[in-house]
Amino acid sequence: MLDKKELSKVLTRALRRGGDFAEIYVEEKQISNVLCEDNRIEKINSGREKGAGIRVLKEGRTAYVYTNELSPSGLERAADLAAQVLGSNNNTEHETINLTPRQSGCQLKYLRMPDRVAFDEKITRVLAANQAAREMDAEIRQVTVALADVHRKLQIANSEGDLTEEEQVRVRMVVNAIAARDGMIQTGYESAGGALGWELLDQVPIEDLARDAAGRAVAMLSAVPAPLGKMPVVMHAEAGGTMIHEACGHGLEADLVQKGLSVYKDKLGEQVAIEKLSVIDDATIKGKYGSFAYDDEGTPAQRTVMIDRGILKQFINDRLTAGYDGSALTGNGRRESYQHKPIPRMTNTFIAPGEDDPEKIIAGTEYGLLVKKMGGGQVNTINGDFVFDVQEGYIIENGEIKHPVRGATLTGNGPQALLDIDRIGKDLGYALGVCGKEGQGVPVADAQPTIRIKALTVGGIGSDDTPKTIKRIRRM
Amino acid sequence: MHKKEEMLTKAGATALDAARKKNVEAEVFLLYNRELSIELREARVETLKEAEEIGMGVRVLNHGRMGFAYSSDLSRAAILEVVDNAVSISNCMIADEYQCLVEPSQYYPPVSCFDQQIVDTMLEEKINLARASEKAARSFDKRIRMVEKSAYEDSHSITVIMNSNGLQASFAQNLAGIYIALVAQEEEDSQTGFAVKARRKITDLNPQQLGQEAASRAVRSLKARSMDSQCLPCVMEPYVATRFMGLLLPSLYGDAVLKGKSLWADKIGQPVASPLLQITDDGTLEDGLASAPFDGEGTPAQKNELIKDGLLQSYLYDNYSGRKAGRQSTGSGRRGSFRSLPAIGSSNLIISPGSLSPEQMIADIESGLLITEVMGMHTANPISGDFSLGACGILIKAGQLTRPVRGITIAGNLHQLLQNIEALGSDLRFYGAKAAPSIRFSQLSIGGE
Repeated sequence: MLDKKELSKVLTRALRRGGDFAEIYVEEKQISNVLCEDNRIEKINSGREKGAGIRVLKEGRTAYVYTNELSPSGLERAADLAAQVLGSNNNTEHETINLTPRQSGCQLKYLRMPDRVAFDEKITRVLAANQAAREMDAEIRQVTVALADVHRKLQIANSEGDLTEEEQVRVRMVVNAIAARDGMIQTGYESAGGALGWELLDQVPIEDLARDAAGRAVAMLSAVPAPLGKMPVVMHAEAGGTMIHEACGHGLEADLVQKGLSVYKDKLGEQVAIEKLSVIDDATIKGKYGSFAYDDEGTPAQRTVMIDRGILKQFINDRLTAGYDGSALTGNGRRESYQHKPIPRMTNTFIAPGEDDPEKIIAGTEYGLLVKKMGGGQVNTINGDFVFDVQEGYIIENGEIKHPVRGATLTGNGPQALLDIDRIGKDLGYALGVCGKEGQGVPVADAQPTIRIKALTVGGIGSDDTPKTIKRIRRM
Repeated sequence: MHKKEEMLTKAGATALDAARKKNVEAEVFLLYNRELSIELREARVETLKEAEEIGMGVRVLNHGRMGFAYSSDLSRAAILEVVDNAVSISNCMIADEYQCLVEPSQYYPPVSCFDQQIVDTMLEEKINLARASEKAARSFDKRIRMVEKSAYEDSHSITVIMNSNGLQASFAQNLAGIYIALVAQEEEDSQTGFAVKARRKITDLNPQQLGQEAASRAVRSLKARSMDSQCLPCVMEPYVATRFMGLLLPSLYGDAVLKGKSLWADKIGQPVASPLLQITDDGTLEDGLASAPFDGEGTPAQKNELIKDGLLQSYLYDNYSGRKAGRQSTGSGRRGSFRSLPAIGSSNLIISPGSLSPEQMIADIESGLLITEVMGMHTANPISGDFSLGACGILIKAGQLTRPVRGITIAGNLHQLLQNIEALGSDLRFYGAKAAPSIRFSQLSIGGE
């Protein structure tokens, strides 16, 4: 990593053609990926990368230059390029910037660094998971186990004099199982991860993950095609929070709001959800996949209540967007790597638990879809339409969980969905993933209690068993 | 750039030498990449990004045991460390008789992937391309409320591959692209539109056409609402068809077939789709975005006929899977960067067009749906082929486009869908390295009210 003097020199140089703000983000990263498929370790990938991204802001415009050349001359060239691209012609010497390192009070603690774990140990755990999945059922045809870890050292220095240094570690494991019966193939997937070191594998045994994935794949072999049309949906807490991430998370990112691209713009202070609903983004939760001590602009992690008992209170922002509307920084300026500029991103986003008994929510539903696992999703923030994928779903009839269904995507409209939630359980379940926006991905977690939404559109292929409350498919 | 190629080659030689001293075979993949990205908002430059990256990926074969490590640091000490790491990893692996490095070739196809004009065009002219798409979009219709982003991007890279079989090959490539995203508004209703085009030659970029396309996509979805759930014949626009091609691809991968992850295993020569369907993977296509003289392991590029008259002709193989299947690499060992091993992937993937215009395809439909957008494709299941996606479109009644729809789902199984192809349009369009015409299907399940 670079020393204070070097960082200060770069910042000063980057501002010599004028500018309101300059920042350098230095990243050193070590990764390892162990992949098991076809009953053997298929590949191991390990690598090291170092680079720096220099950003200059001037009158709302951004210059961004990145490079792997971290020698003094390499950084000088990068700083010059960043200074020059915003088009000013005068060469003014900027005064030296004095950097004050932040107190490292809220550093995350890791028990065991994954890059110090020998590959042999990683291989043993991965093979054990593979074995556990295959032993679950004879119908398991193929298993993929992936164990990935990342160890990053970051330095973020800016022209306001802040110097933030952080060490970030993440471990993630994913198991995909494929089951086959009579020419039909179905898959089951399970993952776990966090801003943790190797201790994650003690907290969440990878073999358990593998067994769950295999069990799900086999269960889906008996699933019938999901029904088609609008119906009540109960989302179990164990399904995770993909719905809230897509239904309103993106729409509450300040850049989309300020550009007029969010259906939630102009709605601060208004009721956007039922009174019992609160939606929170919180990067301070220990160990979750979206957690950190500082965001990628050096702002300390925070808990932001975006929707408070139905009222829209706050958007999540970064320095640029907070500067535009005079809001306090919420610590959501994130970037995928030194190769990307920061933009407002979610961290750990969840619906706060309520008061209802999850069992009673299901028992009180006459007909609907029970979602026990969600996959990925997508949203159009301008109109609020979102989709997400149901990995494990069941029909509820007269309050009882009936047969599994497959092949369903749920679609709805964010603002409408938040008003259509009529039950909020007192439990809470997390899911993790990588959120993509503007070509960059960041690790996030999302969570919700067991909730019921009055109506979402289920995009199944349908069958003739759908009850009379649902419109029958008109076959051609 | 010539100096960069020399530097990469020298680094590669250092790595091969270190590997030889450790008594292992090795392959080195080296890449230097530069990118320029300009984003305009309201005709002003909002973000300008200029960047470069460099790195190497070293694959070693230690008596049949494979190890891989990469680094962005090409100093001598770092290179020796990468080779060391790769060898350490190989010591943990089991020997695999199918692991082997590509043999040097006498012939690499003379593919043109470099346009000097991209290099020679001044920054201001590039900015003007983005300005021109924005201007064209705004003048198309007064309901265009705002242009979210109008962008220009280009990239330039040098790739060098060397291995201990004596293979040493390199090439330079560049490409340029424009992109526009905007919002149309009518009363309370706002809808998005976008258009993107990337080409090998900067003179093939037409910003006026791009701006108009994006604007027309937004305007035609204004006042869209849902529709009744039903099964209907559908026409997919080329962009939507290319998204489905991405879902289809894994069934064609040789390694997926070997691992029991493809529903098309043991189906060579058999019908897997309507006899109207022809799909080709062509790494030698003139001006193709994925064209290159060789793939990510040094196998010369070639043209692969995958589906002909609906019959499966071939899978895609890299060196490893080709050998394991008792066949040969199809030049499909692809790498996006030095950070990973090659993996099977398509190059330029093309669904051959038919003879009907899109208007003719729609004119035949009494009641149906033109599908213009899909959401959530990354959640579809390439192994089972099941898909259930959010969608937008325009209803077809008596052969005419009527009202726009949104907030619906389309669902089905991809393999079934391919059997249901009724017609292919003449309007072949490239999106990245995938090309498709409009496609008409006899029926699709639509979820709405």
